Amino acid sequence: MTIQNVSRPVLPQSSGNRPSPRARFRRRSAISDLLVVIAWVSGPVAASLYLASGGLADVKNVGSFLTALGIVTGLIGTDFILLMLVLAARVPMIDRAVGHDRAIGLHRQLGKPALYLILGHAVLLLAGYGASSGINPIAEIGPMLTLPDMITAVVGTALLIAVVVTSLVAVRRRFPYEFWHVIHLLSYAAVIFALPHQLSIGGTLAEGTVQRVYWIGLYVLAIGAIVIFRFAVPLFKSWAHDIRVQQVEWIAPDVASIHLTGRDLRALGAAGGEFLIWRFWTAGTWWHSHPISLSAVPTDHRARITVRVLGRGTRRLATVKPGTRVSFAGPYGIFTDAARTSPKLAIVAAGIGITPARALLEGSRLARGEATVLVRSSTDDETFLWSEMRKLAEARGAELFAMVGPRARNSWMSQQDAARGVTLRSVFPDLDRSDLYVCGPQRWAEAVVADARAAGLPEHQIHLESFEL
Amino acid sequence: MRRRAAVASVIASAGVLIAGFQIGSAVTAARTPSTTGTGTAPGGSASNSGTSGGTSSGSTGTTGSSGSSGPAKDGTFTGATEQTPFGPMQVAAVISGGKITDVKVLQKTNQGGRSVQISNQADPMLRSEVLQAQSANVSMIGGATYTSEGYLMSLQAALDQAGFTG
Repeated sequence: MTIQNVSRPVLPQSSGNRPSPRARFRRRSAISDLLVVIAWVSGPVAASLYLASGGLADVKNVGSFLTALGIVTGLIGTDFILLMLVLAARVPMIDRAVGHDRAIGLHRQLGKPALYLILGHAVLLLAGYGASSGINPIAEIGPMLTLPDMITAVVGTALLIAVVVTSLVAVRRRFPYEFWHVIHLLSYAAVIFALPHQLSIGGTLAEGTVQRVYWIGLYVLAIGAIVIFRFAVPLFKSWAHDIRVQQVEWIAPDVASIHLTGRDLRALGAAGGEFLIWRFWTAGTWWHSHPISLSAVPTDHRARITVRVLGRGTRRLATVKPGTRVSFAGPYGIFTDAARTSPKLAIVAAGIGITPARALLEGSRLARGEATVLVRSSTDDETFLWSEMRKLAEARGAELFAMVGPRARNSWMSQQDAARGVTLRSVFPDLDRSDLYVCGPQRWAEAVVADARAAGLPEHQIHLESFEL
Repeated sequence: MRRRAAVASVIASAGVLIAGFQIGSAVTAARTPSTTGTGTAPGGSASNSGTSGGTSSGSTGTTGSSGSSGPAKDGTFTGATEQTPFGPMQVAAVISGGKITDVKVLQKTNQGGRSVQISNQADPMLRSEVLQAQSANVSMIGGATYTSEGYLMSLQAALDQAGFTG
C-alpha cells in the first residue's frame, strides 16, 4: 500500500457549541421516521376516509363489491402518485432528513405499485359497473367512456403507463436520458388529466364531502411542492446568484474543473459535499441539466465544480465559453457533515468521487485526528485533485492513505493491497466509532459498502454517494 | 425501513382503518331512512300537492286523528323535491283503491355523469320494491345510496299527502 503518512500540524479547530453527532442523528432519524410513517399511512387514510363516508354500506352484491374495491384501489393509487410527486419535488425538509437519493429510491419503488393500482381501479370498476348492469366488463367499456371526463382519465392512464414503462431499468437503458426525461415530464400531465373524473364521477369525492376537501388538499400540497421547489426556488436562486462560467480547466485527460463566479456564493454550498443540478445556457447545452458536486467549498464570489467527461453532454460542458450564464437547482444531498452520527470520520473516495469527498473534508469542522481519508485510483491519470486533498488533510489534521493500482478481483482494493491482506479495519482502526463516507463509481462504491456491512458497521454509519457510469 | 418506523406505520394504519370503519358504520346507521311515522294526515287534509321545495318536510302535516288509518285518497300525489349531491330527486305516487299502484319519477339525479346511469338502474328496482312492500320503507339500492335516499324520502312525502299509511 502506498501510504503517505502526513504530518499532523496542531490546528486551533474549535468544535463550537453545536450538538454532538449522536444528538443530531437522533433528531434526524426521528424526522425521517415520522416522514416514513406519514408516507405509508397516507394509503390507509385514503381507504379509511372512504370507509368513514359509509362506503361499505353500498356493498350489497358482487357488482357493488367490485365497484367499492375499484374505488379504493383508485384512491390508494392516486395517493401513491401524489406521494411520488412530493418525493421528487426535492423538498428541503425531506432531503435533509432522509436524503435525496433515498427519497428518489422510494419514488422509484412506488412507480409500479401505483400503476398497478390505477390499472386495477379501471378493471375493477369495469367489472363492477358491468355486473350491476348485467353486462360483461368489455361491453361496459362503451358506456363507461360516455361518462364525463372519462376520455381525459384514459389519456392520463396511457401517459402514466408510458412514464412507468420508460422508467423500467431495462427500457431506460435503451434510450438517451433526454428521451426518458421528456416522457417523465408527462407525468405532470397524467396527474392533471386524471383529476377531473375524480371530482365529477361517482359520489366518493362529491361536493361538500370531507373526502373532497382532503383530496383537493393533497393535490394542492403535491403540485405546490413541485411548483415551489422544482421551479420557483431554483429560478429565484439562479437569478439572485447570477452565476457565470469563469474558466474551464482540464485537470486530467477526461476531467475538467469549471470555475464559476457569482454573487454571495458562500450561501450555495455551506455544507461541503453537496451537489447541485446545473444548466449551462449555450445553444448546445441548455436543454440538458447535470448533477455535479462542488469540488471546493465556495467563497463569496467563486465556486468550482469538477466533472468527468463521459458522453457528448458532458463533453459539450467542458467546452463552454467564459461568461456563459449558468442556472442551477440545489444544493442537494446529505453527503455532508450534517449526516454525521459518530465521533470519527472515515472517507473512501475513488475517481470523480474525490470531488464531494474533498469538499466534505474542507467543509467539516474537525478535531485533529478525527478524520481518516483513503483515496483510490486504478492508474496515475486518476489522481486528479489528490494534491489538494493532501494539503487539506494536512490542514485538517487528517490522516491520508492512497491506494493506486488495478482493482483486485472481488474487491474494491488494488490487487497489491488485497494480496497483502489490507482490510477496511486496518485502514480505519476506529471503524466502529466512525461515519464511513464512500464516494465513487457505483459498483466500486457498493463493494466498499458491502465490505463495511460485512465488518459489522451499522447502516446509519454508512454514507454512500455513487456516480452512475 | 427502520423497525420503529415500520411498527409505527402498521399501528397507525390499523388505527386509521378501524376509525374509518367505525365512523362509516355510524354514518350508515344515521343515513338509513327512519321508519315511516311522519304526519299521518287523515282523509281530506292533504292540501294542494306540488313541489314543496328543497326540504324533506313535504307533508302538510295537519295533525289529525293520529294513528287511525283512514282510507288513503285515490289520485296522483307529488312528493317533495329532495336534494342529493347528484341533483334533485322527485317522485309522484299513484294511489288507487287504497294501494300504491305506481311510482313516477319526475326529477332524477342528473349531476356527475354516472348518477344518471345509476338513477336509470335504481329507479325501476326501487319502484318494484315499493309496489311489493306498499311502503316507502324498503331497503336502499346498493351503489345508489343518495338516489335511493332521495327517491324514498320524496315518496314518503307523497304518501303522507295521500294519507297513505299502508
